[in-house]
Amino acid sequence: MKAKGKVWSMFMLLLITVVMTAGCGNKGNNEGQGGNTAGGTETSTPTTKNDKDIVIAINSNFITLDPHNASDTHSISAARTMYEGLMGFDENMNVVPVLAASHSISEDGLVYTFTLQENVKFQDGTDFNAEAVKVNIARIQDEKNNLRLRKSFAKVAKVETPDAKTVVITLSEPYNAFLNKVAMAPIISPKALTENGADITKMPVGTGPFKFKEWVQGDRLVVEKNTDYWQKDLPKVDSITFRPVPENGSRIAMLKTGEADFIYPMPTEQVSEVEGLEGITVDTIDSTIVRYVTLNTMKKPFDDVKVRQAINYAINKDAYIKVVKSGLGAKLDSTMSSKTQYYSQQTGYDYDIEKAKQLLAEAGYPDGFETEIWGENESETMKGMQFIQQQLALVGIKLDVKSMEGGTLSDQINAAKTPEEAKIQMWYVSWSPSSGDADGATRGLFSSEMFPPAGSNTAYYKNENVDKWIAEANKAVDPEAAKSIYANIQKTVWEDAPWTFMGVDQIISGKRSNLEGVKVFPDGSINVLNAEVK
Amino acid sequence: MGRYALQRLLGVIPLLFIVSVLVFLFIHLIPGDPARLIAGKDATLEEIHGIQEQLGLNLPLWNQYINYMSDLLSGNLGNSIRSGIPVTDMLESRIMPTLWLTFLSMAWALVIGLLIGVISAVYRNKWPDHLGTLTAISGMSIPGFWLGLVLIQIFSVELGWFPTGGVDSWKSYILPSITLGMGIMSMLARYSRSSMLETLQEDYIRTGRAKGLREYVVISRHALRNSLIQVVTVAGLQFGFLLGGSVMVETVFSIPGLGRLLVDSILFRDYTVIQALLLLFSTQFILINLIVDLLYGVLNPKIRFSQ
Repeated sequence: MKAKGKVWSMFMLLLITVVMTAGCGNKGNNEGQGGNTAGGTETSTPTTKNDKDIVIAINSNFITLDPHNASDTHSISAARTMYEGLMGFDENMNVVPVLAASHSISEDGLVYTFTLQENVKFQDGTDFNAEAVKVNIARIQDEKNNLRLRKSFAKVAKVETPDAKTVVITLSEPYNAFLNKVAMAPIISPKALTENGADITKMPVGTGPFKFKEWVQGDRLVVEKNTDYWQKDLPKVDSITFRPVPENGSRIAMLKTGEADFIYPMPTEQVSEVEGLEGITVDTIDSTIVRYVTLNTMKKPFDDVKVRQAINYAINKDAYIKVVKSGLGAKLDSTMSSKTQYYSQQTGYDYDIEKAKQLLAEAGYPDGFETEIWGENESETMKGMQFIQQQLALVGIKLDVKSMEGGTLSDQINAAKTPEEAKIQMWYVSWSPSSGDADGATRGLFSSEMFPPAGSNTAYYKNENVDKWIAEANKAVDPEAAKSIYANIQKTVWEDAPWTFMGVDQIISGKRSNLEGVKVFPDGSINVLNAEVK
Repeated sequence: MGRYALQRLLGVIPLLFIVSVLVFLFIHLIPGDPARLIAGKDATLEEIHGIQEQLGLNLPLWNQYINYMSDLLSGNLGNSIRSGIPVTDMLESRIMPTLWLTFLSMAWALVIGLLIGVISAVYRNKWPDHLGTLTAISGMSIPGFWLGLVLIQIFSVELGWFPTGGVDSWKSYILPSITLGMGIMSMLARYSRSSMLETLQEDYIRTGRAKGLREYVVISRHALRNSLIQVVTVAGLQFGFLLGGSVMVETVFSIPGLGRLLVDSILFRDYTVIQALLLLFSTQFILINLIVDLLYGVLNPKIRFSQ
């Protein structure tokens, strides 16, 4: 039996050695590490979770908890549980006051005066006041910090605090989207900023309804009720646990077992499976994400507006939504979604093959032409391109579908330094403005200063009026004036058709029916302020 | 034995060097500009150039490599491009789930795989053999992804015995380990069967039986030990794959391990993290191979003495 025992001890040796080898990658910190894992194992047992502790499963990890540096919607959602800004968004992406009780804008559009809410405290017990706002804007503007929000505050010339309840921000030039940018800038406790230093990204302290509890990267983020929250009777739940669950099927399973109270996104292909199941509710809203095909307006045959319009007529958008989006989407009837600021509805381009053929004939392509369409190699995008290929085949346009991995595609598009070098013909892609503002949904896409690689005007669209209006709209002070300028832009671009206007994505979330008040906003961020278990 | 081990160990060093160059080149030659991804789609060209400069991405490749290696040798893996968190911190927080998952999978796969293999060999062409073969072939053919989802459906959704994912308790590891170990278990079963069959043909087995050893002793002490070399080879290789390759299982069961970190990092072109992970995986692989080599020497003294 001795030999046998030896074999087993060797097997154990193999296991032990590998543990040690693997440990080499992290310089002797194994002990603390093991302790962490064990601690996590014992302290949290979500299977026996309280009704007042809710679990939200999302599809990917949080990247940062620094609210001034978050760029992905999940990190933004997380930040908004713990932080608040002077302004915020409502569920239709309108900008509404939060920590500012009121605000006014000077006639020249340069001076923004905010009057702050009284009796608001940060979670570390310090007062929220004008000085705190000033410190935060200084942090955002500091080049050394290199924060994502810095660009949004580039036009801020000075910040003044005449008294503890008033903040006066002066811009170097008028900027119509400024309030949206303010709404994207949560206020961090200045005390925590000084004390925590760089660790503020891991230990957030704000004024929000929830306080930071723990963040185990890749596994969970837990926030708990802020008992001193300034808005009365809120929040109504004790804690919220966010769990990244990348696999669609697993997220659905968690909803079914009750391990998750809320899941987002709800995979479209599974909606029919859970709809009607007892205890589960599916919510659908329109998002700010638009899907379209850019047509390179500087390249033949797309340099002819008739060809571009013909393509718009030749694609059956209703069928597109049914086939490609599984019925969960809306037709794109402008250059932006109805949930974006200053949206103005357009009409026309109803499915009409005869009209498309006629326009093609007038443009000198009675038998159509051959071209190629680019897109990412993800399955729904490929389905979309194949659909467009079939539709255009009916009017004689032969499409070569080229799907590429995201990085390759981005390199292809940005390799061209001038419009002449551009190889792009058609690109099936999506866009969503980062702060729900019209400027964000327009300038990068239609201004002639934004040709790749400088921007995302991949249609190489150039219209002098549109260029002029984009600049004007930015400077407009009166919202009505801005609205009418954006209406002009949308109408003109719609008629010029540098895109094939396809659809607006819907945001689909699933929840246990007894959970109320958790909402996904049109920009994809999850709002939990009013969460309540019935 | 000591000299043999030392020889093998020294041989690893040039290998590690070559791996580091390859890993570096692979990552820097794939398309996709991380600066562009960090800056976001509405960034200006100026911002993108700024980020490139900050990360040293504008330097020539050889220069970047030298910077990278000098950091690496001083124990600095850099910060994640995407989140700014030190890479060592990230690896540290992600390594335990992957190790647990791998060990549990390997442990049950080894035990059951060997058992099935030995039984199949001993009862060759009888019903236990057929059953074993059937199990092994099915285990090999079932896609892990599918198996994982089916297990979740049955044991989490319908029966409610185990959680659907996460790493909250030991229970969380049961379904993922079954999923991950299935393929290896099957492979080990097949290898150990054929290896055993070969060994059972050997003269010394006949001798053993002829001198009246009990069948149990013949099988466990003589046949099994001698057929283990092949099995150790396969198991070692598979172990390396497991450590780096639990990507799919970690995704299905939402386990915050290294595999998922790799996928996330690749999607965002998080160079520093990908580099560190690939290097870690390759090093593990090389070291496991080294261990396998050493085990050969233990299992079969002929190998170490012929050096």
